[in-house]
Amino acid sequence: MSPNAYLPKLAKIVSIKEEVGGVRPIKTFRMRFVGDNGFSHQCGQCAMLSVFGTGESMISISSSPLQKDYLQFSILKTGRVTTELHELKEGDVIGIRGPYGNTFPVEEWKGKNLIIIGGGIGIAPVWSVLHTALGNREDYGELSLFYGSRTSADLVYSEELEELKGKMNLHLSVDSEEEGWDGFVGFVPANVLDKKPSPENTIAVTCGPPIMIKFVIANLKQLGFEDEQIYTTVENKMKCGIGKCGRCNIGKHYVCIHGPVYSWAELKKLPQEY
Amino acid sequence: MTMEKILPKKSFAPWVKKLAGFEVYAPVEKDGVWIYEAVEDLKEISPSYPNTVQAPKKIIFPQTETLFEFDTDEEGQPTLTETLPGKKDRVIFGVRPCDARAATLTDIVFGGTINDPYYQARREKTVLVGLTCNHPPSPNCFCPSVGGSPHSREGLDILMTDLGDRYVVDAVTEKGEKLLSKAKNLFTKPTDRDRRELATAFTDSEQRIERSLRDANQLPGKLKKMFESPFWDEKALGCIRCGICTYLCPACHCFDLTDELTSASPPKGRRIRTWDTCQFPDFTMHSSGHNPRPDRASRLRQRLNHKFQYFVEHHGEFQCTGCGRCISRCPVSIDIIDILEEVHDHES
Ligand code: SF4
Ligand code: SF4
Ligand code: FES
Repeated sequence: MSPNAYLPKLAKIVSIKEEVGGVRPIKTFRMRFVGDNGFSHQCGQCAMLSVFGTGESMISISSSPLQKDYLQFSILKTGRVTTELHELKEGDVIGIRGPYGNTFPVEEWKGKNLIIIGGGIGIAPVWSVLHTALGNREDYGELSLFYGSRTSADLVYSEELEELKGKMNLHLSVDSEEEGWDGFVGFVPANVLDKKPSPENTIAVTCGPPIMIKFVIANLKQLGFEDEQIYTTVENKMKCGIGKCGRCNIGKHYVCIHGPVYSWAELKKLPQEY
Repeated sequence: MTMEKILPKKSFAPWVKKLAGFEVYAPVEKDGVWIYEAVEDLKEISPSYPNTVQAPKKIIFPQTETLFEFDTDEEGQPTLTETLPGKKDRVIFGVRPCDARAATLTDIVFGGTINDPYYQARREKTVLVGLTCNHPPSPNCFCPSVGGSPHSREGLDILMTDLGDRYVVDAVTEKGEKLLSKAKNLFTKPTDRDRRELATAFTDSEQRIERSLRDANQLPGKLKKMFESPFWDEKALGCIRCGICTYLCPACHCFDLTDELTSASPPKGRRIRTWDTCQFPDFTMHSSGHNPRPDRASRLRQRLNHKFQYFVEHHGEFQCTGCGRCISRCPVSIDIIDILEEVHDHES
């Protein structure tokens, strides 16, 4: 009999970083399994985090599978469980089960240029792609990152972004004029249109608020990208992660199994139920 | 397998007596309604009990169950204790064929590459003994339209048919066979007359079904084309989001997972699973407040699409066995047969 899929594995929080403050705070947690019964994941997959006594929340894994020391989750404080997670300290033990969902086809993308386009906390799911490409740098062509948020203080991974300068094409943006900001001013989709990346042998991966994704896709299409060259992830409310609780579906697709990663060619065929 | 045997009605109670070690469930009347309950001393099965309010599904997949217990020590280290059920053998008598077929559908959901150990532990330990519906137990029965019949064996371990003073008992599975072997001497071989009467009972049972779904096989394709239609708004208008249709459905399986504390600090308690329904507005609500199925229309559409389109596309079966409960019990008379009839005529 296979192991009990509902039973989380225990993991210790090895570090917590406050990424964004204010009313919509974001923290990045690195976790390590207690004992050696953990799991390994692939780019784009999620895991169900348990705070015992509060419940579970599905969070995408933002570390690359190449990173074997820890699993990383960047978490926006928004619901009951994420609020509890934000209260935790380093050394605290939580439960993790997973990994769930399909993956970005990073193997298929070898030899191509990658453009990663994120908005706000939407950077988290694509961060694993970025780090996988950086870790296997010679396997991919040109690497670009478009990333924006409301203000510069809302950018997740700001320190790491500094380090990425020079290693890739970095196009940061904030929504409105800000003192000392020398990047693009405007929404992420506008920044994409402004820089006009070429669709030639390129894959674009975008994740962020639904409205941003919608315009990013429209703008990429305008630049000549085909539906098959555009990838995104979708979110839906989840409970089981294994196709049984029946709540995460978009049409006949269960996002916890068939998603969360979709090419635009696939996603546009599904009903607008996310 | 199917080897029919005859059990005189007066031998029913002695047979049940031989089933020592089994927890026995049967339809019983309580406060004016029929439900499945564990019974101490089963003497007979009522020949004409109407459709039970709840399906026997609840015995295998209970409305609330504990998945594991957690306990946290002073250092904050949690310990988890799995609480797998299913140590007891159970037998359910008087299972309607539609409810047994529904068990084959929940088997699909809770089986597969990732199995559900809680469901499976109970399922494996439960023997389903069915009873042919000589008369449809509900005016809204429509099992033949969705691939079943009032004497279907699918999902059953034993099918019993009431012939007045005796039962024809048909062991469908090995599990069923074993139950008969506990009291071999009570059963006799069927005579030609028994077989003739059984055949008549079967034909009569089918002919007495009053309602039907037209061309059910065309429904998946038709439903697919009308996802965006205002049809759903109109049909869902009366829905008061009570969820009865899904809580009473033998094939519905949606659930919620929540934690329940018995002591707050350090946290000690249990993770529980409870039935949930796509008819509740917060079923799909994101923590951001966004809801992909924000209105009654999208939720009614989901219920019908899941049963008559998505499940068919994935598993080749309707996720409805025609028991009629959702129709009979909906407080605002939302009737899936009527709705699906109109789906046929809908211009996409
Ligand atoms: S039983 Fe009727 S009113 Fe209640 S949720 Fe179902 S369709 Fe709506
Ligand atoms: S959908 Fe309605 S008729 Fe069909 S199995 Fe469920 S409750 Fe019975
Ligand atoms: S989260 Fe339960 S079915 Fe997808």
